[in-house]
Formats: sequence, C-alpha cells, structure tokens
Amino acid sequence: MPRTTTIVLGVIGADVHAVGNKILEMTFSDAGFKVVNLGVMVSQEEFINAAVETDAAAILVSSLYGHGEMDCRGLREKCRESGIGKILLYAGGNLVVGKRTFSQVEAMYREMGFDRVYPPGVMPDVAIADLRKDLGL
Amino acid sequence: MALENRKWEQTLLEESRRQVLAGWPTGREVDLEDAMNYHRSLGQERISYHKLRRGQQEGVTFLQPRAGVALLDEHINLLNSLEHQGAADFLPTTIDSYTRLNRYQEADRGIEESKAAGRSMLNGLPAVNYGVKNCRRIVAATGVPVQIRHGTPDARLLAEITLAAGFTDFEGGGISYNIPYAKNISLQQSLSDWQYVDRLCGLYAEGGIIINREMFGPLTGTLVPPFISHAVGIIEALLAAEQGVRSIAVGYGQGGNLIQDTAALRTLRRLARHYLDRFGYQDVFVSTVFHQWMGGFPQDEARAFGVIAWGAATAALAGVDKVIVKTPHEALGVPTAEANVAGLLCTRQVMRMLAEQNVQATQRLADEEQVIEREVGEVIAAVLDLGEGDLAAGVVRSFAAGVLDVPFAPSRCAKGAMMPVRDLRGAIRLLHPGNLPLSRETLDWHRLKIEERGREERREPDFRMVIDDIYAISKGMLVGKPR
Repeated sequence: MPRTTTIVLGVIGADVHAVGNKILEMTFSDAGFKVVNLGVMVSQEEFINAAVETDAAAILVSSLYGHGEMDCRGLREKCRESGIGKILLYAGGNLVVGKRTFSQVEAMYREMGFDRVYPPGVMPDVAIADLRKDLGL
Repeated sequence: MALENRKWEQTLLEESRRQVLAGWPTGREVDLEDAMNYHRSLGQERISYHKLRRGQQEGVTFLQPRAGVALLDEHINLLNSLEHQGAADFLPTTIDSYTRLNRYQEADRGIEESKAAGRSMLNGLPAVNYGVKNCRRIVAATGVPVQIRHGTPDARLLAEITLAAGFTDFEGGGISYNIPYAKNISLQQSLSDWQYVDRLCGLYAEGGIIINREMFGPLTGTLVPPFISHAVGIIEALLAAEQGVRSIAVGYGQGGNLIQDTAALRTLRRLARHYLDRFGYQDVFVSTVFHQWMGGFPQDEARAFGVIAWGAATAALAGVDKVIVKTPHEALGVPTAEANVAGLLCTRQVMRMLAEQNVQATQRLADEEQVIEREVGEVIAAVLDLGEGDLAAGVVRSFAAGVLDVPFAPSRCAKGAMMPVRDLRGAIRLLHPGNLPLSRETLDWHRLKIEERGREERREPDFRMVIDDIYAISKGMLVGKPR
C-alpha cells in the first residue's frame, strides 16, 4: 500500500478567512490525503517548516483578502533555500486587490513559482484531481 | 488586573492612554480638547447618532457601503463617488488587514507599494499610519456621517486616532472583532481592549460628543443562527453601556429565509432594548443594522445583483434602521467604485418599491420570534451564571466551555462544537448544538426541522449537507440540495 501523501494547508499572511480552509481540510482528508492544516494567518516560514517536518508533497496556499500578492512573493525562493525547492505550490482565492482578469493573476503567480493557481469559486474536487495528476497518484 | 464588567477608573484609563498613544508616532497628534472642538463644529447631518435618531423617528432606512483603499486622495475620491453617485446615507472608512493586526510597519510598506504601483495594494485605509490630521481630511471632505469599519481585536490606537480626527461612528466589539478576525488572541485581552475603546467613547460622551458604537452582527458570515449573533451583540452592547457609551447599533447578517430574517430583526431591536433597560442603561439609544448576505456570492454580476436585491427586499419588508450594502464584485475581491455605486442603486430601487409593504404577522413569524427570544434568554442566562453575575468573566468562561460558540471561526477561543445547517425552507438551524445551553424544547425544535429536510432530500444530515449549504448561494440557490 502506498504511503499516505501529506499536504500542508493554510491561509497566508494576515488573512483570517477560515470557512474555505475548514472545507478544504475536510474534503482533502476525505479524499485520502494526510492534511496538516495550519489554519489562518500563516507565515511563509510556518508553511515551509511544516512542509519540511512532515515531508509534505505540496503546499496549498489560500488568500481571500487581497494582500496575497505581497504575502506570496518569495515563497518559492524560500522553499529552495530550505531544500524543498521542488515542492508543489498551489494558490487559490481572491489573490489580488481589484478586478483583474484571471489570466493576468495566473501569469503573475506562475511567475512567482506557483504550479497551480485557482480563481474564486473553484470546488475542492478540481484541486484534488489536479494534485493526484501532478503527483502521479 | 482581573477582567470584570465595571466602568474603568479614570487613573487606569489615563495610564493606558499614555501607553497606547506612544505605540506609533501618529499617537502624538491626539489632543482630546481639539478633537471635541472639531466634533462640536460638525452639523447634525454629519453625526451618526443624530442621523440615526432622526431616521428612527421618521421611519427611514439608511444605506451604507463598505469601502477603503490604501491612498488618502483615492479614498476621498471613492467616498465622494459613493456619496454623490451612489447617494449613500452613511459612508464607511474600511481599514486594511495589516492595521487590523496592529502591523503598522507592514501598512507603511503597503502605502509605499501602492504609490509605486499606482493602485491600491491594501484592502483598506491604514488610518493609524495617516494620523489625525490626514484622517480629518476624510471627514472634512464628506457631507454625511463616516464610520470606521474594520475587524481589529486591539483597536485602541485606531479609535484614538479616528475619533480625534472627527469620525462619529466606530464598529466592533471584544467578541465580534476577535472571534471572526483573529487566531490566537484571548478574550480577556480583546474584551479589555474594547473596554478601553468604549470608555474612550464614554469620555467623549461626557464632553457632549456622542459616538455611535456598532456591534458587528454577522460574525463569521457563514450560517450563523440568529440567536448566536443576537446574544453576542447584546452582550457587547451591555459591556459598552457600562463604560459610558450612549449610542449603540446592534447588527444582524441576512440568513436568506424571509420569515427567519424578519423575526431576527424584530427580536433584535426588542431584546437589545430589553436587556439594556434591565441592567439600568435606559438612556442608551439603540438602533439596528442589517447586513446583506455575508457568505459566498455568485461571480456573475447579474446573479450577484439578484442576491443584493433579495437582501434589499428583506430589509424593506422586515424593517431596520440601516443596511450595509454589498457589491456585484463581492465574489471577486475588493470592488471598484462603480460596482459599489451599483450595489447602492440596486438596493435603493428595491427598497423604495417595497416601502409601503411589510411582512405579515403570521403564526409562523410569531413562532420564529418566540424561539429566538427563548434561545437568547437561555444563552445570556447561562453566561451570567458562569460569570457568577459578571458578564465579562462570563463571556470568557462561556467560550471556553462552548456555552457561547460561533461556527467556522478562525479563533482558538471558539470551541466550534456547534454546527449549523439549513432546514427545508432555508432557515438556519442547529445540526449539532455542541455545548450551547439550550433547553430540551429548543433543541427539539431544531432537530425536527432538520429531520424534515433529511427526509425530503433522502439523506442523513451531516457535514456534506453543511458544505452544500455554504456553496449554495454562489451556485444559485439558498438550500444546498444534494449534488
């Protein structure tokens, strides 16, 4: 039997939106992943420390309050410095302030080193399917 | 010092104020005498307390948007659009998330990055960083009352600066701005910090300046049963009144079922008045606030207008003093000025069309009102019991015990043992009561309502049903039918 895949989940920065976070924890657990949920108001360092400690396959970053651009910048570089440069990074939510097209937002986050970027309103099943694909599960 | 629900001594306030004002350089600008003189220069139409009183006498419902951006001039332009194009009766100044967590250095960086980028990089106005003189420019540039709206567990310095700047209305409370907005802040701390804010308002009141204090009704905005937000709002009102606050608004976030929402608004006004009178605060003015749907919105703007219009209809039919208006960009983040104006115009149109109509007093409405009144009575009695008569101590112990509980809250202080779900008609009920101190009779009412839905949908009510309910409105319905 394959080892359970661990993912690290949290809402980055000064953001306290807890509802989606609780739903993601429930649905990813239900889908068979081991979920390390750091909850709301998680710093880049906390994400990385948790991922290193638990040998996680992916970090799933949520941001709902609009400051995501400032909060997420540099996360990939810090992962590299911590020896987990290849870890999967997903981001989802209301990722910038103001109305911009999702393709602009996606390009910006791709540039920052995120593997998958989700607009608001995507159901957890989509990210679960993507994660399975990216991990070859 | 042990937390208790008692008016702060002058010496304690003075000592705390010195510390708070030294917390950031702009604190030095606060001068109470100058502040009160400025407040005295404002006409009554620009003072929340007076406008709310007049509205209540005349049976007018006021509209207020949410808005705040990083740069001062842009913020003033934004408020001008909302006042002139949107005909907002009350204006907001929404504070950014860094300031809400007292991270003023990061807010400074947000201002600089916004200047460099030519667009707002913050989700609100960092008022502490701007200071008294700059913030006064906002008050001076507007013709209607401006309220500070935020989500700050420790809002002492924010209150000092914005009240000194001339804002006449300040939202928040030690529970409603902690439990939904923080992770690790104790209730002892937030309740004490809000006693400071309320005592500061009391100080202004003693100088003849009545600041309106609004309690944040919607809490987590996610399937909060009316009695929970009522109990929290009333407790916060009592704590504020003890510190000398003279004008209090209690709030409620739309649930979506017209009968339950009507019952909620009618009981909120009655219960707040009842408890304030019962504890000796007969001279406190009370008003009610209705928040249009606070949960997830559809992304499509036309559909979002549908949600906004239903909130407007509910407010008009149920009756309330002020409505906090949503925008068609709700699902996509911080809205543009145009979207915000559109939300106001849509709401006004529906409310004016329904001004002559109201919800009929039926048995169902009477039942809902009776249930809410009983639930609130049961919860507040248990809180007072746990506090051995002291409300503030009771709140701390009640959250620890789950006797007060809020669903989907980020705070570690909330047990999160209770779980809400909609019934067959979309009213919000309890799936699991957790440790809420409700009578058998009350629990049976909830259980029967949920069993009814389970039978109709041919499934056992569980967490999946709750998730379906949370996403339902963004998908075009109120009750999350099985997928």
